[in-house]
Amino acid sequence: MIRKFVGAVTAALAALAGLWLMIAPFALGTQPETGDWTDATRSEFFTGLGVAVVGLAGTIAFVLAIHADLVARGLVEVRRRVPEPVPEPVPAPAPQASSAELATLLAPLVEALREDLTNTPRSSGDHRPNGKGSLVGVEENR
Amino acid sequence: MKAKLGVSALVLLFLGGLWLVAAPFVVGYQPRGAAYADATVNDLWLGGSIAALSFVSLVIYAADALRELTRRGKHADA
Repeated sequence: MIRKFVGAVTAALAALAGLWLMIAPFALGTQPETGDWTDATRSEFFTGLGVAVVGLAGTIAFVLAIHADLVARGLVEVRRRVPEPVPEPVPAPAPQASSAELATLLAPLVEALREDLTNTPRSSGDHRPNGKGSLVGVEENR
Repeated sequence: MKAKLGVSALVLLFLGGLWLVAAPFVVGYQPRGAAYADATVNDLWLGGSIAALSFVSLVIYAADALRELTRRGKHADA
């Protein structure tokens, strides 16, 4: 494991060195601002590019190797994507009675209540005792 | 497999470092007998450092691999 870590650090440092090599001719002033690139600039730039690419690839390879090592030792758990459960189709709500059907059902009740209200004299003191006799019976006795 | 890729990268970096050391003289932007130019000094330092660092890393890698092999051999004997 430590050898892979050493390799990763070395490759990363080499990648940084490659980046420096690419900009060195311009940073050090060995490349004139106007005119074509000199041989030194061309050599340093493309060598730096290669070193940076190889260093980056080496760093990635060593890091992946370290990760695989840690997974093999059980120190790192690989997260697997759990497929999201498909929501079950919600059953369609039972069809509700339409307002017309409701009105048809309630019509006799409403009619009975209306008749009861119109036929009951409110001013008389004849109060129906609670719980004695049915309302229909009282109405018939009158 | 991934570690082998990394080792290959280290070998390439070692060769690249050697090339950087030789480049000023091979390409010809460092005249013979003259004082070292800035580009030459830069290349020598960076090339030498990269070559040395990658070489040391390769040696450490090989030594650790050999140590692991030895440990496995001891366990197999026991």
